[in-house]
Amino acid sequence: MQYTEVLILVISFVVLLGIRVPVAYSIGIASTLTILVSIPSLPALATLAQRMATALDSFALLAIPFFILAGQLMNRGGIATRLIDLAKVIVGPLPGGLAFVNIISCMLFGAISGSAVAAASAIGGFMTGKMEKEGYSRPFSAAINITSSTIGLIIPPSNVLIVYSLASGGVSISALFLAGYIPGMMVGLSLMIVAGSWSYFKKYPVGEKSSLKNALIKTWRAFPSLLLLVIVMGGIVAGIFTATEASAIAVVYTAILSMMVYKEVKWRDIPEIFVDTAKTTAIVMLLIGTSMGMSWVMSYENIPQEVSNVLLGISDDRIVVLIIINLILLGVGIFMDMTPAILIFTPIFLPLVKQLGLDPVHFGIIMVLNLCIGLCTPPVGSVLFVGVGVAKTTVQKVIKPLLPLFIAMLVALVLIIYLPELSLWLPRQFGF
Amino acid sequence: MLNSLKNKLLKILEYLLVGLVALMTIDVIWQVASRYLLGSPSNFTDELAGFLLIWVGLFGAAYATGKDVHVSLDILPASLGRRKRFYLHIVAQMMVALFALSVMVIGGIHLVYLTFLLEQKSASLQIPLGYVYASIPICGLFIIYFSVHSAITYKMEVS
Repeated sequence: MQYTEVLILVISFVVLLGIRVPVAYSIGIASTLTILVSIPSLPALATLAQRMATALDSFALLAIPFFILAGQLMNRGGIATRLIDLAKVIVGPLPGGLAFVNIISCMLFGAISGSAVAAASAIGGFMTGKMEKEGYSRPFSAAINITSSTIGLIIPPSNVLIVYSLASGGVSISALFLAGYIPGMMVGLSLMIVAGSWSYFKKYPVGEKSSLKNALIKTWRAFPSLLLLVIVMGGIVAGIFTATEASAIAVVYTAILSMMVYKEVKWRDIPEIFVDTAKTTAIVMLLIGTSMGMSWVMSYENIPQEVSNVLLGISDDRIVVLIIINLILLGVGIFMDMTPAILIFTPIFLPLVKQLGLDPVHFGIIMVLNLCIGLCTPPVGSVLFVGVGVAKTTVQKVIKPLLPLFIAMLVALVLIIYLPELSLWLPRQFGF
Repeated sequence: MLNSLKNKLLKILEYLLVGLVALMTIDVIWQVASRYLLGSPSNFTDELAGFLLIWVGLFGAAYATGKDVHVSLDILPASLGRRKRFYLHIVAQMMVALFALSVMVIGGIHLVYLTFLLEQKSASLQIPLGYVYASIPICGLFIIYFSVHSAITYKMEVS
């Protein structure tokens, strides 16, 4: 490893981010500068261009635009309110009922739409006003909304787990999806414990119980949206179709649902939906393209091997190394978005943890959960900013209620690291 | 005048993206349908879908650059002052343009030239891969235009 190259890579990346060059371009420019120092030639530039393009030429990645499209079709319908109504039936009568409703709706919405930002804006925009009316403080509602919105990234179908599968060189997407259920629910539960105790001490009101008839109606109305999760995951788990095929089926299903059943999307809305899908997809794809470029530059400079040697030099105890890796990832998550972080750091850390006997599926869940925490912290927390925005409050005010929720997420993370069975038991039941 | 050209380019990209996403959706749905309903998996849809994703990714990236929606960090101190911000914005946009020029346009053209020279063709459709990669320099040009435009118009807004 040449220290000059590493310094160029790191310093140029940080400076570029600092002067507001978009993250995807910062990654690309830093990689270009680094490789030009080693091999100053035209073929090096051509190879980078090729890496960017071929990174996208993957059938597994196709699931991302289709899950985004299905999410877009769903979001235009009244799915958010239907899920909130359902959550009210289930957890409304508990102390701090609306806080629980917020968490459950965010989890369901995040799982269905596959986007934490979409969950934060759709559910948060609706719930904060409602919660304020019942006496909850806005920052508290926003904090709950922000943290629970990230859970949808662990509960399948999950685009970031598809990205991890790509970065890890082909860990089974189905296994990763199955592995996400229990950890996702554990994070939800730990957030509920904190939100419940906070509401209890603040004497926030208990929600009203709904009549059985009302409960059945609310469940029936939310049923078609939830059925999507069953079809998609059922098909993948049963081995009937791949994640990409499932995503295409999800598009057909949501199109029929939103255009023919709910009639909330019209034909003339389709072009706009397609452009939005392409835009959201491309933001992710450019990150994937340039991150794969950077990953190539790093392996060319032999960086993963060197990092591995340094870490193993500190300790060869699995837990110690995992703690160090997780601390690094927490730091990375604060400054970097999830997709590039997964693509750049998986090739560095995965060979090392494999050597220490960790299952790649388990490590994928650890990594995603760890980086979820970064989505809720400044200065790069996309979910934090959206959540604060829709709740019309400020980052400074949200920090205080956020802290106990962060601790809850960290406790869940530690449990999931120490107990591999939490991630691996479910996939094993299905033969992975 | 500058703005109307930019809006025209964005409109062109929009039409292109709608077409590409529609084609991609039909292509993959057809792949699933041919496998499960007709029992004979179609063999070109898989490859076409990959190429379409490259195009959606690259043209979409150019479009997102024009719309200024790529994720960036706002960590510049507020005390920096308008003048310094203005210069840094121009530097940032020039860096994006330089990346698009060096890697996407120059590197991309070299890549296209090489694949035509070696007569590389795709496995099942037998399309020369050069056509697939040609999207890289084209999108590079779009990105250069949008970032230079952003650098110039930012000045107008400030003064």
